Amino acid sequence: MEPVWFSSDLADEIIKNNDIFEQTHSIVTDIMSGRLQITILVENMAGVLTNKEVDNRERGMRFFTKILQEIPKDFLTDMQIKFISKFYIDRLKDNHKVIPAVLEGYLYIIDMKNYSVQLSGEYFNVLFREVACQSQVRQDRYNIYLTISKLLEKDVQYMKTLGPDFIYGVISSMDGERDPRNLLFLFNFLPKFLAQIPLGHLVEEMFEVISCYYPIDFHPSPNDPAPVTRNDLAAALCPCLYAIPEFAEHCLVLLIEKLDSSLRVAKIDSLVLLTKSCETFKAESYGPFLKALWSSLQREISHKTDDVLKLAAHESLSALVSKLSTTANTDQSFENFIKGILISMQTALAESTTVAQFVQATKILLTAANASKESCEIITKAMIPAVLAYYEFKTSSKLQIASIEFLGDLYELAQHWGVLDQIQKQVDEIPQLCLTAASERTKEYQVVGFRTLIRAKDALKIDLVVPFVEILSYNIQHLEDDEVLSVSVETVHAIARKYPELIMDFVVKGKCDLENLIQDKTALQKRLNLLSSLASIDDFTKVIIGEMLKVISSSNEEASKVIQALSSSISNSSLYSYDKVAQIESDHGLIDSVLTWLYSEIATSNESLEHGYSLVSNTICSLPADKQLNILSNHTSALIEKCSMNEANFQMLECLYRSIRPNVYNKHFEEILSLALRLALNNDKDMVRLKACYLMAHFLNKAENGQKFELMYEGLKNNLSSCNRDDLKICPRLIFLYGWITKALVMRGSDLFQFWLKKILLSISNPECSQQGSEAIKIIMTDFPDCLSFRHHCRTSLLYKQRMFLTFTKITENMSICPETKEAYILSWAYILEKTPKSVLNNEVNKIASLAIDALEYDNKDLLIVMIDILIYFVQAKTVALAQSLQTILPRIINLTTYVKSMDVRIKSLQCLYDIANSYDTRLLLPYKQDILIDLAPSLDDKKRLVRNMAVKARTRWFLVGAPGENKEI
Amino acid sequence: MTKTADNVNPNVYEKGSEREITSTELDEDVSDDIDEREIFDLIRNINDPEHPLTLEELRVVEQQNVFIDNKQNLVRIYFTPTIPHCSMATLIGLSIRVQLLRALPSRFKVTVEISEGTHMSEHAVNKQLADKERIAAALENNNLVQIINQCISSS
Repeated sequence: MEPVWFSSDLADEIIKNNDIFEQTHSIVTDIMSGRLQITILVENMAGVLTNKEVDNRERGMRFFTKILQEIPKDFLTDMQIKFISKFYIDRLKDNHKVIPAVLEGYLYIIDMKNYSVQLSGEYFNVLFREVACQSQVRQDRYNIYLTISKLLEKDVQYMKTLGPDFIYGVISSMDGERDPRNLLFLFNFLPKFLAQIPLGHLVEEMFEVISCYYPIDFHPSPNDPAPVTRNDLAAALCPCLYAIPEFAEHCLVLLIEKLDSSLRVAKIDSLVLLTKSCETFKAESYGPFLKALWSSLQREISHKTDDVLKLAAHESLSALVSKLSTTANTDQSFENFIKGILISMQTALAESTTVAQFVQATKILLTAANASKESCEIITKAMIPAVLAYYEFKTSSKLQIASIEFLGDLYELAQHWGVLDQIQKQVDEIPQLCLTAASERTKEYQVVGFRTLIRAKDALKIDLVVPFVEILSYNIQHLEDDEVLSVSVETVHAIARKYPELIMDFVVKGKCDLENLIQDKTALQKRLNLLSSLASIDDFTKVIIGEMLKVISSSNEEASKVIQALSSSISNSSLYSYDKVAQIESDHGLIDSVLTWLYSEIATSNESLEHGYSLVSNTICSLPADKQLNILSNHTSALIEKCSMNEANFQMLECLYRSIRPNVYNKHFEEILSLALRLALNNDKDMVRLKACYLMAHFLNKAENGQKFELMYEGLKNNLSSCNRDDLKICPRLIFLYGWITKALVMRGSDLFQFWLKKILLSISNPECSQQGSEAIKIIMTDFPDCLSFRHHCRTSLLYKQRMFLTFTKITENMSICPETKEAYILSWAYILEKTPKSVLNNEVNKIASLAIDALEYDNKDLLIVMIDILIYFVQAKTVALAQSLQTILPRIINLTTYVKSMDVRIKSLQCLYDIANSYDTRLLLPYKQDILIDLAPSLDDKKRLVRNMAVKARTRWFLVGAPGENKEI
Repeated sequence: MTKTADNVNPNVYEKGSEREITSTELDEDVSDDIDEREIFDLIRNINDPEHPLTLEELRVVEQQNVFIDNKQNLVRIYFTPTIPHCSMATLIGLSIRVQLLRALPSRFKVTVEISEGTHMSEHAVNKQLADKERIAAALENNNLVQIINQCISSS
């Protein structure tokens, strides 16, 4: 039998039977296959579509709409669609119950491929006349908006022809919308609409409808699972208000009114709106409002406590100034505006009694100056002389210092905008003031004077060089303070770049007396530091380095000081580039001289040898591969021979090979490697053993992938497996070496490191050498400045610490730990956790938290500090797992607040208590409050002040738990 | 409550620098005594009830007005209201007392008084601040505790 939809019984079926709605799919299939014409179907539905009962007509429309929804979008012809559209438009005039289905159905119709946009004119006509949008339910209102939006996307040109009636319809349909989701949709849609459809005389009406929502004051219902937040709405509304330039006047009036509101969000929204509005509004539109805007902005910027508000006001000011500056040449209002700012800020500066007030005013000026070239010129031109005069007033020293800093800021802005030429006269005064400040005896003045001079060094005139040099060279030779010293050296350096000849005469040959460098022993080291820093400038290199090398090769007793100075300067790559070092080496033969010196001094074994080693390795690392090979071939054979006589000479070999490039290889490698292996296990000097380990780690890390690496690795592995593990002397050294091998491998990103890590873990689980095992873990995780670093051309695979953490977690999963080795085991964990980025720990919260809680029982300072740190991190992140263990944690931590051996442990544990009170829910904390307050009392009388400070912080915080006036964000 | 502040536009002074940590303070074995500066640090950041400013910035408390005797376990503090008719004087004194009650070891006997001649009802306020029972009673009052906690919570 044929289904019911092939006959006119369909109408009755729709009225009576709900199940027919489930079968639309089959109907659509029949239509698609051609067995049923859509016209026939509509005829069959006639009975219900034109039924006298409203409810039945509603069912009919709903059924029809469902068919339209399911029918493929490209199936119906344009003629069919035209008729259906006409029918739907006609239905808009029907009873209000029928309307929802009509609205929904039309939405499907416009989606059809063959829908002609011409049909929509009539639809809107009838829709706006017959249907009051705001009396519909939420979904239907949404469907109306969606229809408008879709048609706009389809054909903008046609929509423009619909004229004011259409626009008025849109305005009145959204007037009074209250639902947040619909509003969000509208706010997102409106900017597109406004940008494309000219509003004509309806500008004000449109703005009224939009602006009535401003500023958004909305609180989502607490039961809403996915609430729309106030901020979503505010962010969406903002672009509607400045969508077109025509809104400017209305918008600015509104904005100024809301800026004066007492509501904080209204102010912030208005400031954001002002900032954004500069993108669309014309500069002229702001003219009449500038006075009002500035007074509001000034008020918000000088707000005392609210930083968010301040920042927003600064941004608005910046946007406004940069917008206005586009009319600087045609309009007087820009200049007047900037002058207004200048006048009020100069008053504020003159009246300020504290640095905070001073800085606040200067910040406003800097913001305005930073916004555009024009404003920068006006402001710097006026402010530089003003500040110079201000300094002379002899206000408080802090204000004077702040004013010099302000000068530096102004100078940099002028430099940034390229207006230095226009304000030449004003700028020239700055160095003079720097000199005045630098001539003061106090450290703060000197530092700020020098720093500002460095910033404004291009303005330094030749006649001021000598006075500066006098002060600087006095400082460098006589002062002890590190900060003044380093800034003085920096200043000389800066001046030397501008006036090399003067510095050469006055400093290098004059004050430092290069030719008789070591005659005068006083402050020699400081002079050397200055000279080695200056030597990085091309004009000085030859003279200074030459003289220094003379001292080194004369094996004078002061040579070690020279080496120390050179070593620390050359390792600073911002002073010495690779090319520079390479040039020094090829011109002067630095390495040869240093090696000769090292060889003659090696017996003395003093600390300055270390500087020599690092000077050699730092020089080598800057050279290209062929030069490195050259130097190696010159020295290696002789050095290996010397090693056989005195194993301490190995250190010289090591510093040569430490920082070679990865592609450098020569025939000595294997010999050196086996020598290193022997020394690492058998030499009696700690230093030599350490250097041997360094070298092996470097070789392993740098060896090229493939055969070279495999040969080296297998050789090493075989050698090590034949070692005697029972020898009590060898065993710790072996574990130590495992640590270095693991480190080298994990850093080059090789999976082989797991093999060695397992060996280390084995030693941790053995009570006799568990201590050394944890030391090895420490080696792996610690960064050493002169070993396996990027500077030495070593591979440092990304995230290798995370990798260690993950591997360690995996390997230890099934490890059984006996009580004797537990401390070493937890300590190893501590070393790993200390260096792992904290965010990685979040995946293993439960495991790590329980380790950390266990660790609190052990009497080991390093362990405790790391683990309490981890706990603090988890507490600050409000980890739930810890909240459940408070009962265990609190007594242990309280115990540690009186830990005698280390104040750091005491401080950390007190901080942890503070954070617990700060982070967790009052309900969880209240049961412990009274006990903790009593337990914390003794710490208030701790013998160390720093502990007491933290105890006060923790105890006063716990007093607030659950008390009135507690300000907790949960 | 929209009462305007007694002193609408007080003088604001520079904030002192943080105490520098000396090497002896980092030495485990040296014990540092509690000194005037330390006690001053405890109360300098108490907020004024009327302004978003600290007592230090208003010069209500100054280091030179803090006295301590470690042997006798005595602490004496004088504070200076910004204006002689300041109605908040008692509240400020109470905040200082409460803060010290919580932050000082219990061995100290603490006295908080108004600097001589800086307030109209100096003696009455001093008497109130010295009366233990009145202080205890004040701390039973939830509204008062709330204001005090807000004043001292940032210190």
